[in-house]
Amino acid sequence: MRERIEKALRKSDAEYTEIRIEAVTSSWVDFRGQELDSIGSSRTLGGIVRALVKGGWGYVTFNDLSDLETRVREACGSARLVGEGESTLGEVEPVVDEIRASFERDFRQIPLSEKKSVIEEYNKIILGYHERIETSNVSYTDSFRKFWYGNSEGTYIEDERPDVGVRISATAREGDNVQRGFESIAGGGGFQIIEGLQEKAEVTARRAVDLLSAPPVTGGKYPVIINPRLAGVFAHEAFGHLSESDFVYENDRMRELMVLGKRLGPDILNIVDDGTIRGLRGTHKYDDEGVRAGKNYLIKEGILVGRLHSRETAARMGEQPTGNARAIGYQYQPIVRMTNTYIDRAGAVLEDMIKDVKLGLYALDMVGGQTSMEMFTFSAAYGYMVRHGNIAELVRDVVLTGNVFETLMNIDMIGDTVEWPPAGGGCGKGGQSPLPVGLGGPYVRIQNVVVGGRQG
Amino acid sequence: MIVNRLIEKAMNKAEGAQASLGQGESTDVSFENDRLKSVRSSQSTAMGVRIIVDGRIGSSHTTDIDDVDGVVARALEAAEFGGPAHFRFPDPQEGPDVRVYDDRVPPVTKEEMVRIGGEMITLVKEYNPDILLSAGVSKGISYCQFANSAGIGHTTEDTTFTVWINGQLIRGTDILWAGHGFGWKKREIDHVSIAKKAIELFRMAEDTARIKSGDMPVIFAPEGVNVLVLALRLGFNGKNVFLGSSPLARKLGEKIADERFSIADNPLLDYASGSSTYDGEGVPHQVTRLIEGGVVKNFLYDLDTAGRAGTRTTGNGVGCDPTNLVIKEADTPYEAMVKDTKEGLLVHNVLGLGQGNPMSGEFSVNVELGYKIENGEVVGRVKDVMLAGNTYAALKNIAAIGDKAEWAGGLLLTPPIQVGRLSVVAK
Repeated sequence: MRERIEKALRKSDAEYTEIRIEAVTSSWVDFRGQELDSIGSSRTLGGIVRALVKGGWGYVTFNDLSDLETRVREACGSARLVGEGESTLGEVEPVVDEIRASFERDFRQIPLSEKKSVIEEYNKIILGYHERIETSNVSYTDSFRKFWYGNSEGTYIEDERPDVGVRISATAREGDNVQRGFESIAGGGGFQIIEGLQEKAEVTARRAVDLLSAPPVTGGKYPVIINPRLAGVFAHEAFGHLSESDFVYENDRMRELMVLGKRLGPDILNIVDDGTIRGLRGTHKYDDEGVRAGKNYLIKEGILVGRLHSRETAARMGEQPTGNARAIGYQYQPIVRMTNTYIDRAGAVLEDMIKDVKLGLYALDMVGGQTSMEMFTFSAAYGYMVRHGNIAELVRDVVLTGNVFETLMNIDMIGDTVEWPPAGGGCGKGGQSPLPVGLGGPYVRIQNVVVGGRQG
Repeated sequence: MIVNRLIEKAMNKAEGAQASLGQGESTDVSFENDRLKSVRSSQSTAMGVRIIVDGRIGSSHTTDIDDVDGVVARALEAAEFGGPAHFRFPDPQEGPDVRVYDDRVPPVTKEEMVRIGGEMITLVKEYNPDILLSAGVSKGISYCQFANSAGIGHTTEDTTFTVWINGQLIRGTDILWAGHGFGWKKREIDHVSIAKKAIELFRMAEDTARIKSGDMPVIFAPEGVNVLVLALRLGFNGKNVFLGSSPLARKLGEKIADERFSIADNPLLDYASGSSTYDGEGVPHQVTRLIEGGVVKNFLYDLDTAGRAGTRTTGNGVGCDPTNLVIKEADTPYEAMVKDTKEGLLVHNVLGLGQGNPMSGEFSVNVELGYKIENGEVVGRVKDVMLAGNTYAALKNIAAIGDKAEWAGGLLLTPPIQVGRLSVVAK
């Protein structure tokens, strides 16, 4: 493959050209209720050529790999149509590297029958948990991605990215009241990470049943304590996206708003994006432009100190590439994305966060989040009211919102341990979803958070 | 045809099979930060088979058109452990007449697409040069072969064309996003009116208005109606109904909404994004009424789910999901809805939709683009506001339905809808 890529690259008359070829084998097993809903496997092979001329990009994506040279010429032609400025790409040393995935249990060697029997057991646990359990959805997916990447500067990388995951969902019903418990486990470490989840299945079923009798949270403004799973989404939505430089580099007003050295949070707040943490879903040695991933401080002691870059945004802002240009697959160009983003630990413990709260909310686990840069939402799977320093009743439909320029300043306590629960799912941006990212953090307390809901 | 070879190969061991092959080409022109940024062309191939062996289903797909043997072998392997089939692959049937191909799409040049994007940007810049714009124009052509072991064999060809613009305006620490777009299977899109719609959304947001927490009437603009429709997409899915996770299970024939409210699944609208002659199982498409006069009429089914539920497929395979949803117009002009509102909220776009328990109908969302109405007039944009409620409660509490339907995105055709009272929490 290296020879084919390098030969095709030589046909380019653009200032910069790269080719990424990707082969994916995947399989899935999906139970809904008593019955197996779907089982199967797929193989995908595709590629993208990207060319840069006078600051303009041309892309070509394809499944038919038979004539790479023609694809290169087409990408160059498109780039010429666009370009009328100057090309800028951050300097990186060309590398040649071959990475092989190492994992305990290679899911490619495991027959579909075994994949099925592992999740069938979880499905049975849910369905048998309680008479109010109406139905279930337990699904298994795995994918093994192999990449071949080469660019016109001499970089050539082969990489392998395995991912395996299970989603467990339980639905409980009482008349018109329908509630759901949800868990997802995913990671790159091998098949064993989705084995032995019997207890998770039971907890998921119990949550669905418990939520039947939980009231919706009363809307209003509360001090909120979030657990590590939810803190990951919070760091991601409340601030992470704003540190992605493609929102900033050609936007003078945003550059003023996000000038390095600006205070965005209290002294205890440190936010980091780290693509090098072993075993997390956002981790890779090189990004999809062949740039080495790194540990990048975004906020240090409350001050904005860094941001995430592609080679283009870094050069335009006079900063260093950070290894954050990522694509979800060969159909897409790499854009600036997070890897594993978290609030770093400080010194507090959960008990202290709760004990002086008169009326507040303890929000746990995540359903998702979304941001418009300034305003954002993040949703908890469930929560408990905190009353007079004690954890009180279970509540449902917990969706929190904030404003980046106020909410970060309202963080007043941060826990002493960063945890990385192996959650599935991923991030969406620019039509590319889901991109695997790592979500974790410590317990965090935030004052004056607006929580949606009916008023009491 | 390749699909016939797939069927032939599969039928050596299977008792039934279907096969599909899709090939497409598309071109996208993207503008970012007021400038032309990139041009992308793509070529795609997808080939898949679904088979029944000893009453069990297995499936497999690939992008490699030459891998006929491999894709069939993997589907056979899957079927060995597959779930039971509750259907037989259907016999050939005449499909309805619906237009999905426009011969004016293929000849559109990249230069013309660049011109369309550039003109939209110029128009919005003329209104306010401080708005930073991104825009896109896309076209696509796809070709699909489909066959099954009961004798169906057909080919279809369709086109797509999409135009959108999105702007960002920063004032102090205030960040405002607004935009508009439309896509369907026809070249004919008035990009000037798309730019004008975006300008109108910015114009209405020139002032910021404060809103107090409380219950108030809410007007959902067509885009905003998606907040209410999400629960219906899930609730009318026949699989969710059969499994009992839909709150609408066992409610066929029951009145669940205001009698002015009717919604149907309609894949037969010429050139609409969700339209086509057949579904993914070769079943002819049809119009399915979901709610008529407030009463639940039908759910959406594919072959297997219909078999399990003891009913017939509605041509929504595979997956029981809707195609184009169409909400019926009523009699209130949009202007009258605004005029008759003393104090209320107008919702265009939200953040966080679907991130609670959407199946139950509950929603709790941040109003990303919304406006305050005061004494019959839109007085400005609201911010840092959460809107919460339940779709099923809201449908019983409809105050007015507009007299003119518009496309909200490509898959929902709806008039604006005013709900009597919903909970609003402000900062």
